[in-house]
Amino acid sequence: MTYIIDKIFANATRFFALSVLFITAWIFTVLFQESLVAMQTLGFDIITGEKWAPNLEKFGGYAAIVGSIMSTFLAMVLAVPVAIGVAIFLSEIAPEKLKAPVGVSIELLAAIPSVIYGMWGLFYFVPIIRDTFGGLGIGLLTAGIVLAIMILPYMAAITRDAMNTTPDILKESAYALGGTKWDVIKDIVIPYAKAGIIGSLILAMGRAIGETMAVTFVMGNVHKIPKSITDPATSIPVTLANEFNEADSDIYFSSLFELALILLVISFTVIAISKFYFLRRKRSL
Amino acid sequence: MTHTKKRILINKVVLALSTLSALIGMGFLFWILGILIINGVEAINWNIFMFEGAPPGYEESGLQHALIGQLILVGMATLIGVPFGILAGTYLSEYGQKSKLAETIRDISDIMMSAPSIVIGSFVYAIVVLPMGHFSAWAGIIALTIMMIPIILRTTDDMLNLVPSTLREAAFALGAPKYKVILQVVYRGAKAGVLTGVLLGIARVSGETAPLLFTSFNDNFTNYDLNEPMASLTVTMFNYATSPYEDWQQIGWAAAFILSMFILGLNILGRLILLAKKGK
Amino acid sequence: MATIIDITEEKALEIKNFQFTYASASEPNIKTLNMPIAKNAITALIGPSGCGKSTLLRSINRMHDLYPGNKYEGEILFNHRNILTEKEDLISLRSQIGMIFQKPTAFPMSIFDNVAYGLRLQGMKNKSELSDRVEKALKDAAIFGEVSSRLKHDANGLSGGQQQRLCIARAIAVEPEVLLFDEPTSALDPISTQGIEKLIIELKEKVSIVIVTHNMQQAGRVSDYTGFMYLGELIELGKTEDLFVTPAERLTEEYITGKFG
Repeated sequence: MTYIIDKIFANATRFFALSVLFITAWIFTVLFQESLVAMQTLGFDIITGEKWAPNLEKFGGYAAIVGSIMSTFLAMVLAVPVAIGVAIFLSEIAPEKLKAPVGVSIELLAAIPSVIYGMWGLFYFVPIIRDTFGGLGIGLLTAGIVLAIMILPYMAAITRDAMNTTPDILKESAYALGGTKWDVIKDIVIPYAKAGIIGSLILAMGRAIGETMAVTFVMGNVHKIPKSITDPATSIPVTLANEFNEADSDIYFSSLFELALILLVISFTVIAISKFYFLRRKRSL
Repeated sequence: MTHTKKRILINKVVLALSTLSALIGMGFLFWILGILIINGVEAINWNIFMFEGAPPGYEESGLQHALIGQLILVGMATLIGVPFGILAGTYLSEYGQKSKLAETIRDISDIMMSAPSIVIGSFVYAIVVLPMGHFSAWAGIIALTIMMIPIILRTTDDMLNLVPSTLREAAFALGAPKYKVILQVVYRGAKAGVLTGVLLGIARVSGETAPLLFTSFNDNFTNYDLNEPMASLTVTMFNYATSPYEDWQQIGWAAAFILSMFILGLNILGRLILLAKKGK
Repeated sequence: MATIIDITEEKALEIKNFQFTYASASEPNIKTLNMPIAKNAITALIGPSGCGKSTLLRSINRMHDLYPGNKYEGEILFNHRNILTEKEDLISLRSQIGMIFQKPTAFPMSIFDNVAYGLRLQGMKNKSELSDRVEKALKDAAIFGEVSSRLKHDANGLSGGQQQRLCIARAIAVEPEVLLFDEPTSALDPISTQGIEKLIIELKEKVSIVIVTHNMQQAGRVSDYTGFMYLGELIELGKTEDLFVTPAERLTEEYITGKFG
């Protein structure tokens, strides 16, 4: 009897664990199936076509793809230096008493839902951009900044964790030769944690690419490559969020699904790269 | 300037810059929390809890439908997702361990944890909403469950793995079958950590909007029928805040306030549980 | 109460009325310690775990300053000045007093860059000058032959014993006056340990050495003077052969004969 229960339990756990693989495969399959109509009708136009006009049955996703890439790039440019600065502060500079409160604050910031970042961006940041640069205040720049602020806490926290893996004794050896804090950070901590730091940055970028709510409020959903950084634009997630419920034809839906598939493949690849090349998980046994 | 003096100067500059970054980070935290609290407190009144959604301009407008809807959606997702995730995590830590299969499952789960949530929404649309012919709470629940599983799986795996192998060996040595070792010894030892993982998972899933946009969609009225669309705090926030109506926007802030307090509360509770365990 | 012999030869360091309290401690971890360190000689510090020997060692190059809240009192005289004062230039102090740690700590860089690190910190840029100093240090650390053909390779490719020699080369490249060894062979196998011990004895011609060791036999093999510490106090300091054969203090005798560990 015990033997039977043991077997059932073991198989149950294995079933649920395997389901994770199954669900992932299912997601890719379904997205692919739903995209077939668009793939056959549009071909490469979904990626290269600049015109997105559903009523004309034109579905060129170029503007959305470029918008995704540009907003993510902008966000990274803004967030990476600050995140590294915060990580250095938390890992090497902050006095013990500050490490916990500041560290926890950063982690709580990371827990705030992205929709709230979007709201804050819309009501508080857009006016600032509008006053500074003119125009509507909604666009690529605002989206990039809001996205940067959103991924900043997560990026800072995991980069700090990577830096903290440096053994104290290694750092002490450098101090013992007369190194300053910065010497130790640049010559010991960063080279030692290099893989983890880069992996963390890439992982954060992978998340930023798929971010919807923080940018939907402030991007503008205009299917055009913005001529200036303050022009409205769109990204794949923003397109999906705004248009999924308005799609009224098979080809429209299928194009949206194809964009979703492209987005999934891109972010999956980026995150997988960060994982396999940079972030080897250490198991304690 | 001697080389050493130069080094000391650069050191001071870097320290200043990095402290500045930390201040910038903290600054945003306080800014966002600040406006949340200010706007939220101003917008909260009994109406929020007494009334359901109403067109703009109506006095008797509230969030009751969204609050109840959110509880149902997240609650059901938790009910399904947590046991699923815990059992899957148990497999990884207790049975699969370092095997190739287990490592693959861990990697895929990790990647899916960071994958775009709007894609999950599209997936559930295709497999639930389309066949059903309409939006439904079930679709939203399934989407949230899919998001919750990798989180619970990972934390369970990590927490169970922290239980020292000597504890397991002692139980086996007394003749206990594996499932009893897991249920009675390992789970007990990792209780606090797994609970924290669950709380954090709930917190994360509660804040999701994108997967609900085209699954549970929205509703202005409180309804308990899982086959019908259902309101949620997050989607309501999105709709109300992007509307041009001031009273709706205000209600949106009330929703934002309630939601973030809930999520921050769960986070802090989770940490306190872990701290309490460390203290023992 | 303590028996501390008078050192007639020149002193590298003089520790006077030294007291040390860790940040989290309610009473001093090292109490009123007086100790001379002879120049160009090897002084070993032995004692049971927690007696304060590493704490004392790390005070000499002010390592405790890295962690806030620790307090030094008293004096450590080095080159006619008290190095425990606030205005002591720690960066320059650490180029005169070097340290080798319990585990080999090769930096994540090439063998050459490891040894050159301290020199570069001091501003040396000239390639041939660096090359000469690195070669000399590696030779003095008795490892040049083994690594001369792969100086540009990552230091992590070396074995544990080799890495520790590398750390010694790195420390002596800046030509310090004093070298502090904190249980340098505790992570090494017996053969590597032998090699390091031999090296330490050779080094005393150029540097004054203080070595903390858990291993009494090592102290016996290597040092000229030995100090026995217990519960934060220096119980006895004497010439090594005298201390081990005819210890003056009862506590010393009990420790040496293994009555407590």
